[in-house]
Amino acid sequence: MSDAFVSLADVTLSYGQTVAVPDLNLEIREGELIALLGPSGCGKTTSMRAIAGLLTPVSGKIVIDGVDVTRTPANKRGIGLVFQSYALFPHLNAFENVAFGLRLKKLPNAEIRQRTEVGMATVGLTGFETRKPAEMSGGQQQRLALARSLVMEPKVLLLDEPLSNLDARLRLEMRNELQRVQKDTGITMVFVTHDQSEALALADRIVLMKDGKIEQLGTPAELYAEPRTTFAADFMGFENIFRVEGGTLVSEQGRLSLGFDAQERVLAWRPGGVVVGQGSHTGRVIASSFAGQYRSYVLDCALGQIKADVPIETPEVPIGEEVAFDLPKATARPLAT
Amino acid sequence: MFLNRREGLALALPAALFTFLVFLVPVGLLLSIAFQSESGAWSLEGYIDFFSKPLNQSVFFRTLKLGFLVVVTAAVIGYAAAFCIVNLPTTARGRIFGLVVLPLMISPVARTYAWIVILGRTGIVNDTIVGLGLADTPIRLLFTETAVFIGLLQLFLPLMIISLVSAMENIPEDVIPAARVLGASWFQVFFRIILPLTREGLVIGGTLVFTGALTAYITPAILGGSKVLMLETLLYQQVNVSNDFVSASVIAMILIVMSFSANLLLKRIASVRR
Amino acid sequence: MPRFAIWTILGLTLTFLIGPFLIVILAGASAGESLAFPPQGLSLKWYAKVFTVESFRASFALSLFLAVFGTLAALALGIPAAYALHRYDLLGAETIRTIVAAPIIVPGIIVGLALLRYFVVPLDVTITMALFVTHTALVMPYAVRVVSSSLNNLRADMEEAAVILGCTRLQAFTKVVLPNIRGGILAAFILGFIASFNEVPASLFLSGPGVRTLPIDMLSYMEITFDPSVAALSALLAFMSIAIVFIAERLLGFSRYV
Repeated sequence: MSDAFVSLADVTLSYGQTVAVPDLNLEIREGELIALLGPSGCGKTTSMRAIAGLLTPVSGKIVIDGVDVTRTPANKRGIGLVFQSYALFPHLNAFENVAFGLRLKKLPNAEIRQRTEVGMATVGLTGFETRKPAEMSGGQQQRLALARSLVMEPKVLLLDEPLSNLDARLRLEMRNELQRVQKDTGITMVFVTHDQSEALALADRIVLMKDGKIEQLGTPAELYAEPRTTFAADFMGFENIFRVEGGTLVSEQGRLSLGFDAQERVLAWRPGGVVVGQGSHTGRVIASSFAGQYRSYVLDCALGQIKADVPIETPEVPIGEEVAFDLPKATARPLAT
Repeated sequence: MFLNRREGLALALPAALFTFLVFLVPVGLLLSIAFQSESGAWSLEGYIDFFSKPLNQSVFFRTLKLGFLVVVTAAVIGYAAAFCIVNLPTTARGRIFGLVVLPLMISPVARTYAWIVILGRTGIVNDTIVGLGLADTPIRLLFTETAVFIGLLQLFLPLMIISLVSAMENIPEDVIPAARVLGASWFQVFFRIILPLTREGLVIGGTLVFTGALTAYITPAILGGSKVLMLETLLYQQVNVSNDFVSASVIAMILIVMSFSANLLLKRIASVRR
Repeated sequence: MPRFAIWTILGLTLTFLIGPFLIVILAGASAGESLAFPPQGLSLKWYAKVFTVESFRASFALSLFLAVFGTLAALALGIPAAYALHRYDLLGAETIRTIVAAPIIVPGIIVGLALLRYFVVPLDVTITMALFVTHTALVMPYAVRVVSSSLNNLRADMEEAAVILGCTRLQAFTKVVLPNIRGGILAAFILGFIASFNEVPASLFLSGPGVRTLPIDMLSYMEITFDPSVAALSALLAFMSIAIVFIAERLLGFSRYV
């Protein structure tokens, strides 16, 4: 493809004898914000390390900006990487951390100073120049790590679980910050995460990975609304997933007849797609919790447990009582496997 | 990253090779002496000869006995001292701990020499005894097993205290008060709570003290002389006085086997806990 | 536990551990001719005499040389080894670790004898050289252990970050790893220095005419002369060790590494 800025073609990655990622094909456009999403061990971090040059592929080709970098060592690739642990240099102050890469380039002092100051300003750390990393908060360290990568003006900026070490409030703040920086600089960003809400909120496109392979690739809207597989659906919050056998839903616990015809092999519902209080099925409420806009129930029925989120306006059903529910056709998401 | 094994090996090998060549090879050769008969064939004669001599036997058992006594005494004093140290307020704890560690930095020659001043014919103890009229002439305190015992104990006690302090620091905070509230006497607290929970520290400390006492040269040399020989001083004597390398090789093997088993035991127990 | 009991136990223990040493200091400060305590009058003449004894000066110089250069050599070999054992997935890592740690397990006296018989004599090596090699090997376990433990506190991704920012492997080591394990290296140097300087058993057989380490020289001096100069020298050496440790503790919190 012509518009690919970063491309991985048939890339196989392994640690010693174990193949972590077989034959990966991925194309990333310039200026795009891409999320590599998946559970731990799915190969997302491995793939990112391969783009960075920290891991050399066993086979395949990596091209960045038209140049084959498959064999280019990490220090010559012009890639930025923000580590999950930030990997700040504890013996250097904030300014020297940011200036580290610039000094290696042997740039004139004035330019180093100017670019470092701009970099620190970009992430809102002006005034923290003489602090050591240990004297900064988690959020500040994160920004510092970001600035250290940004001042190098990398072709691609990679971020490894950029928000995982921050508390909930800071996480939201940094999300916005990352988006802003990306918009301001127009830099191509690839970030790795196991948190689907983070991927959905930030990314232009999401690469959902499983066992070293791409399970599904698409925009957040696509992945959210139309997951293609059980794995993808589960990751996107479809908590009720059942096999279909001739008009009947099947689980390990039992069977439940569908109220409609279905040709698909698997059907999935989000908790919000389950109707409670009416319908042809009955279940017993075994758990109930208040969640602001809605109430979450766990219903015990012939299929086992069903999770349902019900608008708060509907009358509450006490725990232990039987209640009617429905798995409507309208909210069912058909899945291939 | 950096999984280039050849590069790693190139960095690690010089140290390993150096130690191997200048250290393990000569030691190995020395140990092999006692396994060869005069014709050069393999034999255990050296060992049989060595252990058939009463002097060697008595030195062997004395070394074991002193090592054992020093460990037991160090453990008793060590528990008392360590328990006191961990119950001190933080600042005092650091200072006292520093004073316990301090002797380890001082030359063993200097530390052992002090006992000559104390136990010698004109030393403090004898001056006091004679001065008080308890005896007419000074008694012989130096060159006795007691002197060697005291010297070794003083040399290695800090190792035991350090091990026990770090073991006791890991006892969860309220366990001892909890046991007291449940009706345990102090005696029961020690044997049912403290001792089981500090077992690892005791073993580490004990091993360090035992191997230390076993392989100490200076203390038995200065405080025991040729009257109270231990394995190390006997080895020195066999080489320097009798030129008997077979006996030296046997003693070397005994010392290595003992230190090695102690070390192995230590590793075993430490890894069981982890 | 009552405070009284605590301080009694600690007082007695510390008296046993440190008291004898205070006696040595005072015995060395005696004005009399023979070793005694309490000293027969106070004077610093024995402390002064130590510096005039020719053999002490020579053996002090030798011990200092061994402690400094033996430890430096051990670090030069030990730092790369500790680093490699840490960062690489080495075949035979356990073997290498055991070999390098061996000198701590093998009793010193055996080492000295073995080196005399199979290194000095057949290869016609000088005693000084043999001492240097022995002390290097003896200090190696400390060097590897202390440097390892400070590498433990240094995450591997720090180096990766440095490489991505443009460092070569060597630059990543010198600009990021070394500055961060500097404290550990210094601690290893001090530990090694003290261990080497105070070493006796291994150096026992490695002495020749005019070539002796200071502790060995003190031992043989004691056999001949019974004056307080050894007490004075012991005290001086102890002050030296304590001063080194004290300064190190003040400068870098030395005890973290021990």
